[in-house]
Amino acid sequence: MAMHTRRATLTPKVLSYSGLAVVLLIVLIPYGYIALTAFKPAEEIFDVRWLPRVWSLDAWRYAIEFEQFHVYIYNSMIAGLGAAVLALCVAVPGAYVFGRKQFRGKDVMFYIIVMALLFPFVLLVVPFTILWVKIGLYDTMPGLWLAYQVFIIPFAIWILRAYFAELPRFLEECAMVYGCTAFKAFWRVMLPLAKPIITSLMFLAFLVGWNDFLFSNMLTTGQGPRTASVIIYVSAVGGERVEWDVLMVMTLMAGIPPVLLYILAQGQFLKTFAVRSY
Amino acid sequence: MARQEALHPGHPIDISPALPAAAAASRPRPVAAERWLIWLFLLPTVLFLVLLLWLPFLQGVWMSFHKWPFIGEPEWIGLQNYRDLFGAAYFWTTIRVTLLYSLSTALQLALALAAALALNQSFIPLKSVWRGVMLMPYAMPPVVVGAIWMYLLDPDLGMVTHYLLSWGIISKPIYWFSDPLWAKWIIMLVASWTFWPFMFIILLAALQAIPESYYELAEVYGANLWRRFRVVTLPHIRGAMLAAVIIRIAWNLAKIEQPFQLTGGGPGYETSVLSILTYRFAYLSGDFGMAFTVGLLLILVTFVLIAPFLHGFQKQIKQARRR
Repeated sequence: MAMHTRRATLTPKVLSYSGLAVVLLIVLIPYGYIALTAFKPAEEIFDVRWLPRVWSLDAWRYAIEFEQFHVYIYNSMIAGLGAAVLALCVAVPGAYVFGRKQFRGKDVMFYIIVMALLFPFVLLVVPFTILWVKIGLYDTMPGLWLAYQVFIIPFAIWILRAYFAELPRFLEECAMVYGCTAFKAFWRVMLPLAKPIITSLMFLAFLVGWNDFLFSNMLTTGQGPRTASVIIYVSAVGGERVEWDVLMVMTLMAGIPPVLLYILAQGQFLKTFAVRSY
Repeated sequence: MARQEALHPGHPIDISPALPAAAAASRPRPVAAERWLIWLFLLPTVLFLVLLLWLPFLQGVWMSFHKWPFIGEPEWIGLQNYRDLFGAAYFWTTIRVTLLYSLSTALQLALALAAALALNQSFIPLKSVWRGVMLMPYAMPPVVVGAIWMYLLDPDLGMVTHYLLSWGIISKPIYWFSDPLWAKWIIMLVASWTFWPFMFIILLAALQAIPESYYELAEVYGANLWRRFRVVTLPHIRGAMLAAVIIRIAWNLAKIEQPFQLTGGGPGYETSVLSILTYRFAYLSGDFGMAFTVGLLLILVTFVLIAPFLHGFQKQIKQARRR
């Protein structure tokens, strides 16, 4: 790639490294402390010191064997993935048309989306719960997938629209001159070009499902597809005494999979761009 | 090579190949087949938005003109809910806190931009690892992050208080989440820490889409670092940046779990941002008419806050479509 051959002068280097260092410290100081807390035995939790005096796996054992936390992690994973796939199936075609085509009612459509972005979601909880029970979606995974769309679809359209609109306008026209149908021009030309942004959005949509507490809490029961965020919330505020060490273990278990996923998805981005420049 | 250059023509130096004359000269009206495609593609989006969001919204407007208890018959009271709200002292406290809380978006943008610019440089080693690390605050549920900060900021036993005391910055423990002075700043800072990677991901994706050749060209023309940022980087990420700012302002104000968990909206109404006030009316006092009244005002306030960015965003898109 061309990047490696470019001579980087001193100023950008200094700026980049110091910016990176500041942000990394802001993220890593709290996290380092938590990660180490997860290995402390219960009686050391409130000693303010970084390294545990005695390294202990008790909290991990408790979280996995007693709380069965890995089951909830699995639920979160399915909830996030399903929500992301459903969201993109709906939002990508919508955003494409909205970003690139002219049609009657486009301005109305614009305000429909803006309003959807601003809605105070907390007010939807009760109406949704009532409706979900009525139509049999309560306490099911598809019910969660559908409910998450309230968050995902408006922002996915919002971001994709900007991306599609900024691609050069003659692309589809060229494709159609060469005999593509309107659909093929979308499928063969526009979609591959939007791959990096679609991957990022898929990831953000996954995180909405992974992180959500509002609907996951209201629309599921202990017997159904409870997600990890609900379990963690309950152990953080539920009992009389918070088991901080166990909570920190759960925190790490819930935090690491998306990070790994993102690092893997990065490879996907890089591949896209490697193809593009040479 | 050609494909790369075709991606973003027109700015700052147009290196796109000449348009095919026929396609550029006349933009044909959509033919029947294309019109089908347009409506087919739009249909799922419109259905989802109308059914999931617009119907509840319109119902909410209707409810805000009622006294609407959780159980029992609603009663039409016209604008009484609005009059009650504007007359109440706590409402103005709430508005003030909401405005302060929305400042979180600016902090998020600053962090995200610094991180994304740094991690888009070629000379930094282990980039994908750092990118993963950056994501960590947002990779777990906000309620979890809230719990972490409750632990770190614990007035008696937490790390932060401990260090602040031992360095002599404060003389006695501060009860961060119930102190009337600090509570509103703390929820704002914790929200910034939690949500900034959302912007980071979007900005990084936008930065990655800028072809390297633009920077090379700008350098050939002698543009210094700041000029390169102004002329090449900024125009290409402005759309993504505005979109992300709009979403974050809206979501910061509408999502309630984390501040509610940290302070419950107290002390008094000091940290009751509008969304928490909505929650208090709906689920603590069971007054859905009032809850929707506050909810509609929340929409209004959010709209006023995002309006300038919305305007910029629309302009950006129109410009992009002219290129």
